[in-house]
Amino acid sequence: MLNVKGLVKTVPGGRTLFAGIDLALAPGEFVAIMGESGAGKSTLLNLIAGLDAPDAGSVRIADIDIAGLDDDGRTRLRRDRIGFVFQAFHVLPHLDLAHNVALPLALQGREAEESLHAANAMLDAVGLGGRGEAYPRELSGGELQRVAVARALVHRPGLILADEPTGNLDPDTAAHTLGLFVNQVRDAGAAVLLVTHSAVAAAAADRTLVLSPAGLVARG
Amino acid sequence: MADPRLLPVARRWLLWSEWRAHPGRVVAALLAIALGVALGFAVHLINASALGEFDKAVRSVGGAADLKVQAKNAFGFDETLYPRVARVHGVSVSPVVTVAATLDGTTRATLEGIDMFRVAGMGQGDVEGGSTGLGGFIEGTAIYLSAPVLAASGRKVGESTTIVANGRTFRAVVAGTLPAAAGSRLAVMDIAAVQWRFGMLGRLQRLDIRVDQGGDVATTRRAIAAILPPDAIVVDATSEAAQNDSLSAAYRVNLDMLALVALLTGGFLVYSAQSLSVARRSAQFALLRVLGMEARKLRGQVLTEAILLGVVGAGAGIGLGLALASLALRLLGGDLGGGYFSGGTPQLVFAPWAACIFGSLGVAAAVLGSMVPALAASRAAPGIAIKNPGDMVDPRVRVRPWVAVALLAGAACAAALPAVRGLALFGYVSMALLLASGVALMPWLARVLVAPLRGVSPKAVPFRLAIARLWGAPSQASVALAGILAATALTVAMAVMVSSFRESVDRWLGDVLRADIYLQVNDTTSGGFDAATQARLRAVPGVAWMGVLKETPLRFDERRPSVALLARSLDGPGAQHSLLGPAAPVPSNDVPAWVSEPASRVYGWKPGDRLVLPLPGAPTVVVAGVWRDYARQHGAIVVDERSYARWTGDSRRTGVSILVAPGVDTGQVAAGLRAAVGNGGPAFTISRPQEIRKKALAAFDRSFLITYLLEGIAVCVGLAGVAATVGAQVLARIREFGMLRHVGATRGELARMLVTEGALLGGVGGVAGVALGLAMSQVLIHVVNPQSFHWTMDTVLPWPFLCGVVAALIAATAGVALIVGRSVLTVDAVRAVREDW
Amino acid sequence: MRVGWLLPVLLLVATAGLAGERVVFPPVPRDAPVSLPRDHGAHPEYGLEWWYVTGWLETKGGPVGFQITFFRRRMSFDDGNPSRFAPRQLILAHAALADPAKGRLDHAQRLAREGFGLAEAATGDTKLTIDDWQLVRQRDGRFTTHFGGADFTLDLTLTPTQPPLLQGDRGYSRKGPGEGEASAYFSMPHLSAEGRLKRGNDVETVKGTAWLDREWSSSLLNPRSQGWDWAGLNMDDGSAVTVFRVRDRQGRPMWAGGSVRAADGSLVVLRPEDVNFETRRLWRSPRSGASYPVETTIVVATPAGKKRYVVQPLMDDQELDIVREGGPVYWEGAVRVPGGRGYLELVGYGDKIGL
Repeated sequence: MLNVKGLVKTVPGGRTLFAGIDLALAPGEFVAIMGESGAGKSTLLNLIAGLDAPDAGSVRIADIDIAGLDDDGRTRLRRDRIGFVFQAFHVLPHLDLAHNVALPLALQGREAEESLHAANAMLDAVGLGGRGEAYPRELSGGELQRVAVARALVHRPGLILADEPTGNLDPDTAAHTLGLFVNQVRDAGAAVLLVTHSAVAAAAADRTLVLSPAGLVARG
Repeated sequence: MADPRLLPVARRWLLWSEWRAHPGRVVAALLAIALGVALGFAVHLINASALGEFDKAVRSVGGAADLKVQAKNAFGFDETLYPRVARVHGVSVSPVVTVAATLDGTTRATLEGIDMFRVAGMGQGDVEGGSTGLGGFIEGTAIYLSAPVLAASGRKVGESTTIVANGRTFRAVVAGTLPAAAGSRLAVMDIAAVQWRFGMLGRLQRLDIRVDQGGDVATTRRAIAAILPPDAIVVDATSEAAQNDSLSAAYRVNLDMLALVALLTGGFLVYSAQSLSVARRSAQFALLRVLGMEARKLRGQVLTEAILLGVVGAGAGIGLGLALASLALRLLGGDLGGGYFSGGTPQLVFAPWAACIFGSLGVAAAVLGSMVPALAASRAAPGIAIKNPGDMVDPRVRVRPWVAVALLAGAACAAALPAVRGLALFGYVSMALLLASGVALMPWLARVLVAPLRGVSPKAVPFRLAIARLWGAPSQASVALAGILAATALTVAMAVMVSSFRESVDRWLGDVLRADIYLQVNDTTSGGFDAATQARLRAVPGVAWMGVLKETPLRFDERRPSVALLARSLDGPGAQHSLLGPAAPVPSNDVPAWVSEPASRVYGWKPGDRLVLPLPGAPTVVVAGVWRDYARQHGAIVVDERSYARWTGDSRRTGVSILVAPGVDTGQVAAGLRAAVGNGGPAFTISRPQEIRKKALAAFDRSFLITYLLEGIAVCVGLAGVAATVGAQVLARIREFGMLRHVGATRGELARMLVTEGALLGGVGGVAGVALGLAMSQVLIHVVNPQSFHWTMDTVLPWPFLCGVVAALIAATAGVALIVGRSVLTVDAVRAVREDW
Repeated sequence: MRVGWLLPVLLLVATAGLAGERVVFPPVPRDAPVSLPRDHGAHPEYGLEWWYVTGWLETKGGPVGFQITFFRRRMSFDDGNPSRFAPRQLILAHAALADPAKGRLDHAQRLAREGFGLAEAATGDTKLTIDDWQLVRQRDGRFTTHFGGADFTLDLTLTPTQPPLLQGDRGYSRKGPGEGEASAYFSMPHLSAEGRLKRGNDVETVKGTAWLDREWSSSLLNPRSQGWDWAGLNMDDGSAVTVFRVRDRQGRPMWAGGSVRAADGSLVVLRPEDVNFETRRLWRSPRSGASYPVETTIVVATPAGKKRYVVQPLMDDQELDIVREGGPVYWEGAVRVPGGRGYLELVGYGDKIGL
């Protein structure tokens, strides 16, 4: 699903984040990446998603080299193949939950009814069924994160990128969220790349890697 | 796969949600566009309606003649021209004598002497009245009046009225009315009677000519022009239109420019509101990009918003503009106080093309306001934007002023260009470029002005925070600054120009009004005081010196209004003219003449030039110098009144100036002068210099009233834009404030920070605005005014006003920041840190 | 009321005016008031004068009747105005064409005050001008005329074939029972006319016979009169018949007169009792409502016996339609009689007309 080879990135100021990262993810694989703050975990996710360009190396998603795509191509790739979960929920405050979750489908050009139907089904699946017409300000942090997860999954992407999805949640809610997150992911058969500080979160993954200036190393 | 409809699902959702959540912002943006469009459109409508009225009035006096032969001066041309023109092939000619008349001492009218048989032959001349009236008309004992004159005179058909014209008096019976001349002040008598009773034997002022069907007007016009004597010209409809146009062209163009300023200000308000709205949502836009919305679709989203806002706002603006124009016409008259068109409320003329143009301008302002920041947002790397909503600019990056410098250079070039067809178009372009360069320069200027403040005592944390903000986010701050800058610059430019003008006029009046008492006939076209009256005036005890003045119009060019010939006493203490530039020596055999500055500019007369005056006998004069004149926009020529008397034999004088002997009471002398004129003479006014000065300045203020008004509105709208900008910025930084409160800043310190930020913004913008405004005022004073009105003035800076503007600005922006910030200093700020947006 | 040119203006002007400025019109002298060729010209001191040409022309569409007239009117007031525009004399010109194919008259008129050579009634010989309309007597005695209007243009040369005919007593023609009700009157019958007639875009050469009436006077008609009838007939045998009568309000003749001049030049002057008009048929105008005796028998008593002239109009509607301009209503038409042709004028069958 995902194939990264020899990825190099330096930041403005001259510091090299990483030199020559290799990574491969098969469908259905759940990989966690841990590392020190400032090691470049979020940057790595941005590079994989095509939101940033590497200094060297290649990223292939579903066998498509994203370097060969223009900006619109990468955007479309994200829209059709990738699902995002952020640390901050980034839920649009002026849309109700159902519309928020249906956004990726709407961006793909699907009909409103179809998209909202799928969104409400996904809200059901994350345990927020029947609250499709509520607004984000009525929800707690944990509920909002579940909405974000629903949005990441509604269009059945092949690759899911999660950047500290449980960072803002208390341990119980985090565990709960992670659980349904993992269940849903497994059922859909996607590949998952999870960036996190939390060893608990990493434990849910199939394997854990550590990102350091030396590169991406398997964790024991 | 992609949705083929006009507005895809995602975009519809985003549009509706945004507007439903913040209806107030939407309404504010709509109002801004509406106001800008309304102001511009209203001024344009007023112009168009007034001109239409003016045109109508002029046309009804002249009738529907194809061509007219007109005299170049008030004396008319020899009547033997009439049969010569009548014998030109293919024309019908109607001879006309015209003279300014007063009925019963109070009602002014233009008296025309016509040959009713010739007039009827041209298909005109409908009159209302009995058939006995016509008999009296032929006999020269009856007069027909147009409706306004009849109403003003208070006479009824059948009563008799006393007519005074050209110094003669005659009683005639009002025989009826003139329905065709319902818009003008016209009185008509038989031509033979007017020639005889009012001393105009042997001369005509006009020939109305109709070209027979199938004839070519242009060919006929050439044939007639070939046989004209030097004191007559032939005009047709286009040259008359050109003359009417030039009467008030410059004034109207200035008004139109002011309207554009109003539009620009409204547009700017929209721009700032929209750009901040986009900036505020930059994180949302980043999310959409991450989720998979293409860059151009994002731009399309913003564009759709802008177009919808623009169309609705512009539509409302057109309606509002109509209402404003109708109100202004009713209250202020068609010239908005400029004094060009006298009397009557012009009818409001709706101009569909103008409505479309102004509406489009409104939409364009909304679109531009959104597109620039939208482009920036769509180009920004979404990954960064989503994590760091706020300024994209690295504080370490230098801000370069090259664009601004290029614009400045462009402005300088434009200012050096000459007028285009009598309009200072490049002058206005230069001012626009100056404004643009000022706006482009703001980020750099903000840094430059704030830099020295950075080395300040570390204790003043709020102050340092404020400075750091301004330094670090100059592009965001510069949007607010640009608004302040534009509003201030325009205000200052106008204020400096008006104050310079007023001061120059005041000084000029002081120069020109050297006598103690002035007598002036109310209607200079009526001839003036006769020789006997002048002798009586001279003999009044207490009169130390008396000078006389004859003002009469001369026509040099058929497309331009008449030039005023001022024949005056050139000896004696009360006869000064403020010369501009060196005087040229005049050979002793020649008669010297002094041309006014407008005349010199319009006709290109320079000292040393020889000039033929279109008076009887075509006398030649040599231009001895150019003098400053603010009273007559179309030009004036001064000659010795003795030369004038020699050329024309006209001993009547329209004005008299008196120096009172030392020690004598001026009031007593004035009373004596009034008695000396008596009741039989023309209506006149006695004034002291102070009264004249006061009236002149009052007229000046009245004609600039609308300028002050538009200026005031521009300032208010500009400030509103600033308030919106500052307010939105503060709200956007709510998390920042929350963080600061967490860190330990007290409410008081935060408040001080806000006030300081606001004051800094106001100060920087105000100082820059004043400087820019001064530069623009110089363009107004040295380029626009001379090219439009043909007069120059000295720059006078109203220092108290300028300081006041900056102070007011600082107070206003600081106040706004504080007021808006009050909401921020509440619990919400603390809570906001935890929240997402 | 439209300001037009028209007769009533002139007539009303006659009654207006301040007493002190009224001019006194000289009466026509009783003794041989007509002396030619001098009296071909105008007589400015008299109140009213005309040069009245009527005639028949042969066109390719058949015969048409034509009338062209110049009037001169002296204003009844004189305030001593030195202006060259002072209206002392008014010149009025009128032309009409009677084309049976059209069924009604085409006409044109102009009115101007005399002055600047643009409108003129010269003394000494016939020379009348309003702009480009003119009637001029040339050195060889022929008259040339030009009248151009919207409907037709006439350019004619009129050649006298007989000596002038002095009417009344050597030109003193009485018009009523009262003292001084008379005019100076002479006619030039049997004028040979030729020239060009332009109608629309069509120009053709025409030939025919015409009659010129020359009359001037200061006061003409008795105040009791309602109108008059006049006929001038060019007979085929070379004689010329002139008849007129003045009617009162009841339609009864107040005065009558005329002359019959034979081809050899012998002249019979008719007395009032010698002239009779017998109406055969009336024609009612659909416009004015007036009824004109368009078919009349004129009975003239001469020493050689009674002569009857049975008058037939070229067409019925030869009424002068200047009611729109507020003018008088009268009928002026081309007529035939057995053995001759001419013109008949019927005045005063509508409103009263005062001269």
